[in-house]
Amino acid sequence: MDVLNIPYEKYKLANGLETILFKNNSLPFIVINIWYKTGSANEVKGKTGLAHLFEHMMFQGSKNVAKEMHFRYIQESGGTLNASTSFDRTNYFEKLPSNDLELALWLESDRMGFFIDALNQEKLDNQKSVVLNERLERYDNQPYGLAWEKIISTLYPPDHPYSWSTIGFYRDIESYTLDDVSSFFQQYYSPSNASIVIAGNFDTAKTKSLIEKYFGELESKKITSSPEVSTSFLKTIKEMTLEDKVNLERIYISWITEKAYSDDDASLEILSDVLSGSKNARLTKKLVYELELAQDVNAMQFSGKYGGHFMIAATAKPGKSLDTIKEIIFKEISILAEEQIASRELQRSKNVIKSNFVYSLQNIDTVADMLNHYNFYLHEPNSFTFDLNRYTKVNEDDIRKSVIKYLQNNFVDLRIVPVKNNGN
Amino acid sequence: MAINRSKRPQSSGDVNFKLPVILDFELNNRLNIYYCEKNDLPIVRINFLVNSGSKFDPVKFKGLSTLLTMTIDEGAGSLNAFQLSDEFEILGANFSVSSDPDISIITLQVLTENFIEALKLFSSVILKPHLNDDNFNLEKRKLLVRLEQVKAEPDYIADISYEHFLFGNQTAYSFPVLGLEQDIKNIQHQDVRHFYKEKFSPSNSSIVVVGNIDRDTIQQALNEVFGNWKNDSSTRIPEFNLQKFPKNIYIINKEDAVQTEIRIGHLTSKRNDKDFFQKQIMNLVFGGQFSSRLNLNLREKNGYTYGIHSSFSYFKEAGYFSVSTSVDSENTTNALKEIFSEITKIREGITEDELRFAQSSLTKKFPLNFETYRQISLNIRNKIFHSLPDDYYESYVDNINSISRDDVNKTAGDSIQPDALITVLVGDSKKILKQLVREEFGEVTSIGYDDIFIH
Repeated sequence: MDVLNIPYEKYKLANGLETILFKNNSLPFIVINIWYKTGSANEVKGKTGLAHLFEHMMFQGSKNVAKEMHFRYIQESGGTLNASTSFDRTNYFEKLPSNDLELALWLESDRMGFFIDALNQEKLDNQKSVVLNERLERYDNQPYGLAWEKIISTLYPPDHPYSWSTIGFYRDIESYTLDDVSSFFQQYYSPSNASIVIAGNFDTAKTKSLIEKYFGELESKKITSSPEVSTSFLKTIKEMTLEDKVNLERIYISWITEKAYSDDDASLEILSDVLSGSKNARLTKKLVYELELAQDVNAMQFSGKYGGHFMIAATAKPGKSLDTIKEIIFKEISILAEEQIASRELQRSKNVIKSNFVYSLQNIDTVADMLNHYNFYLHEPNSFTFDLNRYTKVNEDDIRKSVIKYLQNNFVDLRIVPVKNNGN
Repeated sequence: MAINRSKRPQSSGDVNFKLPVILDFELNNRLNIYYCEKNDLPIVRINFLVNSGSKFDPVKFKGLSTLLTMTIDEGAGSLNAFQLSDEFEILGANFSVSSDPDISIITLQVLTENFIEALKLFSSVILKPHLNDDNFNLEKRKLLVRLEQVKAEPDYIADISYEHFLFGNQTAYSFPVLGLEQDIKNIQHQDVRHFYKEKFSPSNSSIVVVGNIDRDTIQQALNEVFGNWKNDSSTRIPEFNLQKFPKNIYIINKEDAVQTEIRIGHLTSKRNDKDFFQKQIMNLVFGGQFSSRLNLNLREKNGYTYGIHSSFSYFKEAGYFSVSTSVDSENTTNALKEIFSEITKIREGITEDELRFAQSSLTKKFPLNFETYRQISLNIRNKIFHSLPDDYYESYVDNINSISRDDVNKTAGDSIQPDALITVLVGDSKKILKQLVREEFGEVTSIGYDDIFIH
């Protein structure tokens, strides 16, 4: 499809900063999206969550930008902004009227180069407290909120960088010092470890010279090398039950699979859709509609730079047994290991995926982020068509083979059940 | 040579923005269509809006509207529920149905090449839903379990309880969209069919289309599927006798919760009242964005929360003001003190700087609200729904810029009433009560979630 071909220009500054320009003048605004090639996978035990805390600190001001002013400048100019941290990377982005491109470049370059100058204990204490509250709000106080952390810490070996969650453990968050923060900056926040995408309405020559002006003089640092990781499967089946403030029991079954963009990644994603993507999906149809054992069921393939896993979660209706649900899930898996799925099942998933590619282009922020994403994982920003073709190429037998290769191995069986002495 | 980084760079010139053109026309049966042609991607998005939200749920039938939206796509025309879903997917279409307190919305987003086929399915859901007994009962069982499930979600409990205490026991906005357990148990299949017949009619509905399709084609396509639809029903809008209640703090116990969900506010004027722009500016300064007074105080200074915001929300027949956050349990009253103190302060008005910031932010951000097919649909819906003036979007920037500091300050004094603040706290009541000094905080009521909606 033509619309999936995103024309871009990519080059490197002398200090190693990768620059990707995508011009689209249909609306009068512009997106600046920076990926630092570091995330929680670069952390060490005892200091989990540091990459994410660091992301917060990046909004606390830099040499020429006072605390709170980063947000204020962008919002005053009519822009929106945010950032996010994952296992593999940290991104920062602004979207604003095109006449304020220079403002965003000034802000981003100031914190890329001169973050340390404005760092102090008061800011760190404040953001530790904010992040602890973020953890309480989004994980500890959410029904089933601790499942992810429990699963990955059991599924991946203890030395694997995906064995702890990006938010970090409570005690680790409490322990960060100013030294932790500044050495994280020194180790990972370098122009040579980042890529910047400018997307939207701009003049190319002028934009290039502004990027050179603001980022060109920033010094590169030597980057600590990435963790070495090999895929390792579970040696035994692991079963765990956790009590939580929930009203319905839920089971999670998880298997180790493959890295992002590896050979089976796309067929595993299609498999998740075949299992739970719609009313007709196999597990949804059986568990939710025909047998009414489950209130909901969800399958997903997670994959990143250093590994991946496949997960099926099902919430039991009151009085229904998780054992029965699990039995049915495994029965379906053994059917999938023997018989190819119907060609219509496959076609349905492919058509939905194809359309979603087009729908996702509506936001220029998404396009900018995807250019950085593809550049990071595939070293080619314009990989929309390549990516879509990964799915179109999957055939019925690929799905069967993936099921055999991954879903018949050892797994983690985690159950979240209501607290026994629940007063509510 | 090092550059001078000490000052914010100047903006370079003005930006040019043209609002998308919105047309409206009627089908043969007078069904209203709002349409915007948008050709940057091969996408068509269509919304069917019908006045059948949960405010129309009769007494003892709370949950009827939601049950209709849950059942309506379980089979239509010649297709059963599974066939229908299969056909939508083969077309790569996103299809969804939802309900809010005022309206139900049926949404389709699809690639242009599949639009005409998808439109047939879409219209059959609206015109020929099966609403059969088995599907209804299955959805009803699902909804009852859903109600059980959401009781474990502190933010949901806080939102629902807050609205209930705002609107009191007697109005149609006092109840959750999902409905009440004891009512749902009594709702029967024929009630949903009756509700459908009463509400789904050309005169009670409208359609919004934003997409890569020209005016003649869309008009013809819509006339083909909807043009002969006849159903003369008249819908009575429930009466709203809204009143404010005296200041009170409600605590809903969540044993061992590590945070307290906080909602604070009261009823205010409706969306189409004259002080809308003043309130919008005041809210932006107060709690409407990251560098607002509330967030700078409770998050960036005190670290009590991951985030706090305030808003003026608008239903069709009512408006309300609210502050919303969640804080670690130990800081519940510390946070309350700061929020109450900021509420008192905002009544004294905003500064010239704050006014300029808010005006700049709102007016310059305006073009960003018209980027996606969804955003444009929402803007059109907003305009129809609140009966905003024809030139509402054309005059938006001028309207914001015409507001003076005195205007905002007068509105702040009039529209924020500390004596009428309803506070809802969802958290561990033992931890909360230990901190709450009655002399300082006034009336406190502890109540179980299950006891709130007994009527």
